[in-house]
This record gives sequence, C-alpha cells and structure tokens, in this order.
Amino acid sequence: MHEIVRNEFRRYYSGLREEDLEVPDMPQREYAFLQFGGEVMIRHMKFVNPSSLKEYIVENTPAHIYHSSAYYQMPEATDMNEKGWLGADLVFDIDSDHIRTECKDRHDRWHCIECGMGGAGFPPESCPHCGMKKIDTRTWICEDCLQVAKNEVIKILDEYLIPDFGVAETDFEVFFSGHRGYHIHVRSKTFRGLSADGRREVADYVRGIGIDIRSHGFREVKSRILVGPDMKDGGWRGRVARALYEFVNRASLEDLKGIVAPGVAKNLFDNKEKFLKSIESDPPYWGSLKGYTLESLEKIAIASIKDLICNIDERVTIDSKRLIRCPNSLHGKSGLRTLRVDYSSIDDFDPLKEAVAFRHGSIRIYVKEAPRVRIGDEELGPIKDKTLEVPLALGLYLICRGAAEPR
Amino acid sequence: MSLMLTKEDLAKYPFLKQTTSYVERMQLNLGDLAAVEYSGILRKALTRIKDSIERNVRLTDLTDPESEIISYPLALALVYGSKSNWLLNRFATIEAKRVEEELRKEPRDKILEIAKSGFSWEIENANLKLEWEEFPFSIPLQSYLEVATSFNDAHWKLVNRYVKGGFVFLNSGSLTRLVSEGFKIRIIKRASERELHKFRIPEALIPYLDEILMHAQENMRFDEELPQGLVSEARPPCIVAIMEDVKFGKSLTHMARFALTTFMVNVGESVDDVLKLFGNVADFDEGKARYQIEHIAGMIGSRTKYKPPKCDVLRSFGLCIGMDEFCRNAKHPLNYYKRKLKIMSGPGGQTGARDRKE
Repeated sequence: MHEIVRNEFRRYYSGLREEDLEVPDMPQREYAFLQFGGEVMIRHMKFVNPSSLKEYIVENTPAHIYHSSAYYQMPEATDMNEKGWLGADLVFDIDSDHIRTECKDRHDRWHCIECGMGGAGFPPESCPHCGMKKIDTRTWICEDCLQVAKNEVIKILDEYLIPDFGVAETDFEVFFSGHRGYHIHVRSKTFRGLSADGRREVADYVRGIGIDIRSHGFREVKSRILVGPDMKDGGWRGRVARALYEFVNRASLEDLKGIVAPGVAKNLFDNKEKFLKSIESDPPYWGSLKGYTLESLEKIAIASIKDLICNIDERVTIDSKRLIRCPNSLHGKSGLRTLRVDYSSIDDFDPLKEAVAFRHGSIRIYVKEAPRVRIGDEELGPIKDKTLEVPLALGLYLICRGAAEPR
Repeated sequence: MSLMLTKEDLAKYPFLKQTTSYVERMQLNLGDLAAVEYSGILRKALTRIKDSIERNVRLTDLTDPESEIISYPLALALVYGSKSNWLLNRFATIEAKRVEEELRKEPRDKILEIAKSGFSWEIENANLKLEWEEFPFSIPLQSYLEVATSFNDAHWKLVNRYVKGGFVFLNSGSLTRLVSEGFKIRIIKRASERELHKFRIPEALIPYLDEILMHAQENMRFDEELPQGLVSEARPPCIVAIMEDVKFGKSLTHMARFALTTFMVNVGESVDDVLKLFGNVADFDEGKARYQIEHIAGMIGSRTKYKPPKCDVLRSFGLCIGMDEFCRNAKHPLNYYKRKLKIMSGPGGQTGARDRKE
C-alpha cells in the first residue's frame, strides 16, 4: 500500500482524542492489527487504557484495528485455551455484500476464472457459460446498498432485539463498519455468557432458520378446522400471524398460485375478505376455506416471512471469540471511520458523509476504473483511465479500494 | 407462595439447594460410608449405578428417604471416581429420566419451586393465557439457552418458542424437561472441573468401584470403528453437495471446508486424499491446505482430531441441503454415515465398495 495512505492514517490517529478509542472493559479484550500490505494478523495484544492503545497505533499505523468481542482473564495469552474466556458481547454483522440489491447491477462485476466470462450484478452460484464455480468478484458500495443495510439494522433492533429479547436501548451500540455495513454490539450482561450454541440459536431466531409454524399455535383441531395465533401475540407467533395477514391482503392471484395449488389459490383469493376477517376475530380462526389445509397455510407462511428475516453474517454472531473493528479506527479498504451511530437518529445517518475522516485537502490520482462513487458531498464516475485532482477523502477511498494510484 | 419441600422431595431431587445443605449438615466422610453401619446406603448407591448401567429408570424409593438422600452423592462419587465417560453419561441420563418422571407427577407450583431452588434461573409465574394455549412459566432467554441447545427436536429451537421481553414462555411439560436436562448437564459438566480430575475414590470403596466397572464393561458396546476410506454411497447429502461444489471449483466458505475435511479425515481418508479433493478450488494453496488438514487430523498443533460439526450447526451455516430418510434419525453427519453403512452391509443391503484404490 502506498506510503501516502499510511502517512494520512498516522496523521488521523495522532489527532484522535484518546477517549474516542475507549471500549467498555478494555483491559479484558484482545487487540489485533493488520499492517498495510501485511497478511499476518498481529494478535494477542492487551491495552489497559486508550492512551497506550493510541501510542501503539500512532507508532505502528496499522491498516486495520480490531478488538475481541470476548472478555478474557488474560487477553495477552497466545494459547486460546489459556486466555480464560469470561464472556462476549453478542454481535450482529450486517454486510451489504451479502444482500441482493438492485444497485449491484450498476456497480458490481464478476468474472469466471475458468473461462473468462463475466457480467454485472450479484455473482451467480456457478458460471452460466462453463458451469464452474470459480467466480471472482469486484464489488463496490453505494448509498442504496448502505441504506438496505441500515434498514436491516433497524429491523433487527425494532423487530427482534428490543421486543423479543428485551434488550434495552442502553444495552447496545450500533456502528458503521467503515465500509460495507453495520455492526450491532449487545453488551448487556445477560447475553455475555451465551455459549456458541446459544448464539447460534439467537442467529437462527433472527434469520427464521428452522421455523416450524406448528410450534406457533397453528394446528388442525378437526378435519379442515384450523386454529392459530393472534396477530397481537408476541415473538414469532404474532409475527407469523401478522405476516400472513399482510401477505394475503396484498397478494395477487398469481402470487398465490406461485405458492399453493391453483384451486386453493383461487378459493383463497376469491374469499380474501372473509379469510382476513376470521383472522382478525377474537379468538382468531384460520380455517374457513374449502380445500385449504395446514400444509397450504404453512407454504404461504414461509413465503410471507421472507421480508421479515434478517440478513446477517451468521458466522459473526455465532462466534464467541470474534475480532471486531475498533470504534473510530480507519478501515484500510476505504479510509472511512468505524463510527458509532446514535440509534435515535439513525434514519438521518449518512455513512458516506459522517464517517469521512479526512475533511480537508486534496490529492492528485490516476483512476484505473471505478463506478460512480460518492464520499462526503463529492461525486465521481463512472470513470476510467484518468488522472485528476480530487478531495483527499475521495482520493484515499479510491486508492484503498485499489482502483486508483497517487500521482 | 413458597411451599415447604419435604424430606421425600429432597430424596427425589438431589439437585435442590436444600438437598445439598441437608447432606452437608450430616458431615459425612466418603471413606466412612464403606463401613458396616452404612451398608444400606452403599447398597442403595450401587443399585442406582447398576440401574443406570442397565437403563433401568426406577422411581425414588421413599421408604427410607434419609438413606436415599445420602445414596446419591455416594453414587455420584463412585461414578466420578470411575473416570469412565460412558458410565458418567449413562448415570446422568438415567438420573435425569428418573427426575423427569417424578416431576411429571408434581403440581405446577411445586415444579416452579423445584426449578428455582435447583438452578439459579429466574423463573416466573407468567400465567400467559393465549387463545388456544397456556404458558404458566417464563424463564430468562439465556437460562433457557443454557439447556435447550442440547435438545435436537425442532420445537426446542428458540425460533419455535414464544419469546418476549427477554423471556421464553413455557408450559409445565417443557419446564419439566428443562429441569431434568439441566440436572443431567450439571452432572456431566462437573466431571470436567479441575478439582474432580484429581479426585480419587477412598481405598475402602475400591472393591465396589471395580465391581461397577466390570458390570459396565459387560453392558458397554463400543462405537463401531469407522472403515478406512470413504464409501461414496454412504455420504450424507450435505457432504455430497459440498463435494459437488468442490468439483466445480467453487471456493468454499470456511465452515464448508471444515465440514468436508473433518468428515473425510474421520472416515479414514489420508491427508493426501483430502488434499487432492481441493485441487480444483479457485483459491487453492497447497501448502496452506496441507497445514490445515494436518491440523484438523490432529497430526500437528493441539493434537486434537476434530469431528465434523453436528447437523444443527451445518443447518445454521446453510450447508444442510434438506433431509433424506437417513437424516431424520441422525444428528450428526458421521452418525448418518455409520448408520447407512450398517444398513448397506446388512442383510439385503448392497455391500459398499470402498472408493479407495487397492
């Protein structure tokens, strides 16, 4: 990586206030660093306060700075078994790379290493030309995909963590990762001791993995007489009921035919009003239609919860010893800051503006190729094979992305 | 409302705080229990262990609750002293089953009292009445997960529970299962505590321990050894799917790679065979791959031979591609493989030809 990036990173860290590096229970965390151009992670570091961390960072200027989600008796021990695990924050990682968005057609490309075929957008599972799965990708982010990621954050918190898990607003922090998405750190003591298996259950919960609607009150009491949950119920029980109601309410005949047998679809569509009314009634009644069974209801339920399940990187949530980006550190692949987001005003949060670390100065760069990008208020591209002077933050962003070089 | 727990209850539920303090108050020394005057207690303890070896779930004998109470810690000491994991698991399982059967006969309030006393769970009388169902109890999410993750039935998954405000709502049947499983886990977990590693049975009790171990030996059926080399037809669908991906050069996720490697190593494939498998993958680096495979096979590093992840984990990571008939009875890919092998080589089944070249 270019010396100029490293120098700018050093300048940023020199000017950083020590308290910006503060993390709860810092002396119990492991710190880890990735140097510019380095492949090996420097691990098992312990810092007792932000000032010693700052001193280290300014001196070594790493490209990436992480701390453990876990708390240890001896974070500096090199053998994981000797660290003495005391617990860990519960972490959710929302990465726009994992979410299918329409904007990917505009800024992402993939190509097959085997035959060279390529295209725009979300990469296919296997090459449509040769069938091989050796797919290389070149991905970018834009306001749209970051907005989708933000919506996921709000969904996880408002739909799951706060109502279902009882997480208080003082118990979690939201961070923009500095690149493609967001992290939610739940720090409440109640979740600290969760085992990896327990965390897996939590991840499965928000992703709707393994959901069985029969466990949520849907059942056949007599032949073709279906009972089920109330939309007012809590947890997944009420969620499934509400999702089903909304889905059937909005569904066209074609939508329903795509899910259940044509006869059932038509019957349900023609009797929509009656069906919805009976779900609203107290107690709710779910089976007033001919030819309509628990199986068909199950199929519609699964289709209707599609938008309610959360797109998280489950590996991060399940891992009770994860390394997570340090707040206010710079992301070596973007030059943007890992920034704490005030949840009460998350709607107005503009990551590409507020996470900008370099607000002054400009830089002359040669751009190989880039789609349209915006950093701060500056926009550029699509652009190819050009040398030009740009604001420092934008220039560093393109250099960190590997799309430009300083001139 | 707090109910008084009787001596009979202490005998039935050895995990209660009251039971522990009752035993502590008696200030008994383990070695003394081999003496003639305690022969009744020793006999009870030995019967407990014998029952567990023979999978015999017997309800608590309440004719003499006091000796019944003391017989439990004595039996437990003998089991820990045996250093046999097989016996430990069997004892914990059968004791838990006994507790479950006892609990099923108890009224709701008492189940709650027992659960609260036995574990540090903040269980509440929730009395949640839904239209067609009732949940009398609520338990904090993290306490629920401490135990429920060891169950395999889908209805124990958190996603299939009524979860609200940080609590999981339960009916009596579920709480009963949770308590008995919590008891089982506690017995097993304690065995791996450091102080118990050093624990030795007093001299006077050793003859009884030998007797137990002999009886256990007769009842123990060792896990069949896995064959040396992969039998393709017995592979579970998840492993087949990962191998297909590999064939098409897909670069695998860490979990997929780990699952495939551990599976192969555990069915007796050599490091070189596993290495060959990955040769086609987009980001293949032979040096790195060899190191990782040798690590997983326990040849280097921590010397632990890793097992593949269980089905639940594979499912969470999106590697379960759906069940076939064998999956329904398996919780683990190796379990699936063993079972299918057995059926394939059994009467009427085709004998699986080893993939390995002779």
